[in-house]
Amino acid sequence: MGEKKIEKIYVLWMSTGLGCDGCSISVTGATNPSIEDVLAGRLPGVPPVVLVHPVLAVEAGEDLIEYYRKAERGELDPFVLVLEGSVPDESIAEKQQGWWAAFGFDKQTYKPITTVEWLKRLAPKAAAVIAIGTCAAWGGIPAARNNPTNAMGLMDLLGKDFKSKLGLPIINVPGCPPQGDNFMKTVALLILAVLGLSPPPELDELGRPVFAYGETNRQGCPRAGFAEEGTYAQEFGAKECLLSLGCWGPVVKCNVNRVGWINGVGGVTNMGGPCIGCTMPGFPDAFSPFYTRQSEHMLSLRFGFLPGSIKKSARLNTMKTKTDKSPRWK
Amino acid sequence: MCLDKLSPEECKELDPPGSQSSNVREIFWDPVSRVAGDLAFYVKVDLNARKVIEARSVAALFRGYEVILRGRDPRDAAMISSRACGVCGGVHSVTSVMAQEMAYGVTPPPLAVVMRNLAGAAEMMYDHPLHLFLLAGPDYSAAIVSKTNPTLYETAKKTPAEHRDIHGFSTIGDLMEALNPLSGKLYLEAIQITRIAREMFSLMLGRYPHPSTLVPGGVSTTLRPDLFTDYLVRLTKIYDWAKTVALIWEDLVNFFYKEVPEYENVGKASKINIICGGIYDDPELAESGDLYKYDKAKEWGERRMVTPGVIKDGQLETTSLIDANVGLEEFVTHSYYEEWEKQPKILEKDPLGNPLSVDHPWNKITIPKPGPLNWREKYTWDTAPRWNKLVVETGGGPLARHWLTAIANKIPSNPFIKAGGGRLKITVPKGATLPEMELEWKVPKVINALERNRARAYHIPYVIGVAMNFLLKAFEYLRAGKTKVWNKFEIPREGIGVGFYEAGRGWLSHHLIIKDYKIYNYQIITPSTINASPRDPLDQPGPYEEAALNTPIVEKFTTPEQFTGIDILRSIRSFDPCMPCTVHMFTGGRVITRDVTTCACSI
Ligand code: SF4
Repeated sequence: MGEKKIEKIYVLWMSTGLGCDGCSISVTGATNPSIEDVLAGRLPGVPPVVLVHPVLAVEAGEDLIEYYRKAERGELDPFVLVLEGSVPDESIAEKQQGWWAAFGFDKQTYKPITTVEWLKRLAPKAAAVIAIGTCAAWGGIPAARNNPTNAMGLMDLLGKDFKSKLGLPIINVPGCPPQGDNFMKTVALLILAVLGLSPPPELDELGRPVFAYGETNRQGCPRAGFAEEGTYAQEFGAKECLLSLGCWGPVVKCNVNRVGWINGVGGVTNMGGPCIGCTMPGFPDAFSPFYTRQSEHMLSLRFGFLPGSIKKSARLNTMKTKTDKSPRWK
Repeated sequence: MCLDKLSPEECKELDPPGSQSSNVREIFWDPVSRVAGDLAFYVKVDLNARKVIEARSVAALFRGYEVILRGRDPRDAAMISSRACGVCGGVHSVTSVMAQEMAYGVTPPPLAVVMRNLAGAAEMMYDHPLHLFLLAGPDYSAAIVSKTNPTLYETAKKTPAEHRDIHGFSTIGDLMEALNPLSGKLYLEAIQITRIAREMFSLMLGRYPHPSTLVPGGVSTTLRPDLFTDYLVRLTKIYDWAKTVALIWEDLVNFFYKEVPEYENVGKASKINIICGGIYDDPELAESGDLYKYDKAKEWGERRMVTPGVIKDGQLETTSLIDANVGLEEFVTHSYYEEWEKQPKILEKDPLGNPLSVDHPWNKITIPKPGPLNWREKYTWDTAPRWNKLVVETGGGPLARHWLTAIANKIPSNPFIKAGGGRLKITVPKGATLPEMELEWKVPKVINALERNRARAYHIPYVIGVAMNFLLKAFEYLRAGKTKVWNKFEIPREGIGVGFYEAGRGWLSHHLIIKDYKIYNYQIITPSTINASPRDPLDQPGPYEEAALNTPIVEKFTTPEQFTGIDILRSIRSFDPCMPCTVHMFTGGRVITRDVTTCACSI
């Protein structure tokens, strides 16, 4: 991208995965940076960012679709593609001449253009591809046991080795929904990278930004001190460690306890909610039924005196084999 | 528009060639994008007669939550069903825990009821600004009105705003300017207000959307002494804003009526048929243990701070949640689901012995069956909920809540809201710049787009009253040492539950049946399931469809190409289909355009 002067950066948002749009809502709550900050060009040295989001776009209707068509024709460059919601298996619906999720119609045939079709057309042309939320990243709730749509994550559709035009893998910002700032910071870092100003955000082996998902929930939990002393909550509302009430914090990668939910307010275990693992590939099935003591925790709960190093290796193993792994990945 | 599977002959019959004359326009906004569930909307408009002659509402996305919930541990229901909608990001889990509490036979402690009420009020303080200024607002902004009704905009610029001393905008034109998307003062302010409200919600239930500290039996929020004061500090920041919002919309609505009397018919409902779930429970009933018992649903429902019930043809039909529940049916004649009549009926009767239809949500079985779009057969992923075969609407939420509350005269006495005789009197405390004020809302003559919006503007002060009332309760409980927030429960082998509540945009119910300690059936009826519904077996159109059909074309245009259909969009948006979108409809031939929004119409 080096020589060509970049006048505008487009962020193309697709909210027509199978999702609830909670991710969009979460992003509108972000304050660090806020969506207005980025759109108004309040990042120094950054050209205007044009967010094409069905929720916030000034343009709508055919004007809005036209952005996606232009991107397909290679006329929007550079653009960052964002998917919210999981990817359904359209081959099932197709057998009955129907569809699960679609976005716009083909002008000739009046047939809906499915989300899957758009993704295949747009992803190879994008400077970077971001999957926002657990749905888009790993499949999430629509991909849970019994689901009729055989839903999956974006990585499952495009392949693990997919690389965007900038040479980046799919960037996954999971969470159901993700904390808004985690997404906005990732985008800000990416924009700076597209401009050649900063290195791209550091990603882990599953494409997650390390600044947000490099540590476990427990590592940032204000109740960890209680756990260290071996005191556990006996009922909801209590102030001690929540492991006894089914919290999964020790094997869940998430920074929400440290950064708070919105503007520093709220969160999960810091507020009293046992972590249900909503950022993880195994969510929800690997963590369900929620609020029940998990066998994984028996070690900690029974043998509070175990050295940290033993607990740590047991936890790493749980993540590898269960929580940090989608049931789709054999 | 002939879509799929119809032979050319059938097409001709449905769409006689004459109807394709240059003055009949077909518009298909597709898929009505974004917030939780995609809505597409099709209309056929006769531009000579200035009439909408056909309207179809299409939910264009299916996810399968009800199917996914089957066979799971019932405790998973709140967390999973919450993800049905991220815009109504708190109400689903609350409704779900209420349904579970009924099935488990547990009552939350009073303070937990208070905390849920405070969270519920905060959710409305986030939801209504979002709709009024990011979704509906742009429809009334200078940017839009100056294009679609230029003379009206000129008049607006010269018309002084009645309440200018309070809201600070001298003319209606200034107000319209402030409503401009992305740049207007009101638009930008509203985003900030939604954040403050979401912080308030998070103080009570952990986070928004998809609360992290809500559990059956109460809440799991760890009580810190500053939780309620932190909430109050944020609430005080909204006092003055709420007063101005009510009066801003009062001025706007009155201006439209005065200048264009036909506005009375824009988005009009043919009959005044309303359903409301009621919201904000009386914590005192938690102490007696009556709360969320099915056989006591009439009593606890009528003690809510917003009265539940049904209005039929303008008359109060019932305020009993049991009646509201028993009359519910969901039809799939025009929806991409299979009928379930052949399956054994799950429940013949409700727990009180009232007979239940096979189409009642407790008996409904979700069997998805995707297929092509066909106006005469199946055209949506939404179902058609009806009440005793009647098409009812939710008034976009606040209109139903106000109407029921104002005529039923049942809410518990409190220092902030007086209801009765078709009026609501709301006292909003003194804020940083404005004194304490009493605002009054009156039952209107009709249900239409403007009234849905006006009611929504008054609902922000209303929920401030609700929040104040329950904050005082919270402090009372804290003083009395009643600090318990959770009661233990056991999951029964068999159980039946239903939760009734209100999302921002209206009625919400979750129906649950437990067998062998597992979820046997789980059904959700959202306000948009009701409002965006297709035709039913009696061929009655759903509320969006009906509102579009009743809408006169008052927009100014000289050539058909200039026609935007703004008033049809105003109608649909007044139901609060979740998030902002701007007006852009394209005419000329078969134009396909993507616009508008809805919320969770397909679960
Ligand atoms: S990840 Fe969660 S919050 Fe985001 S769209 Fe999916 S269900 Fe909604």
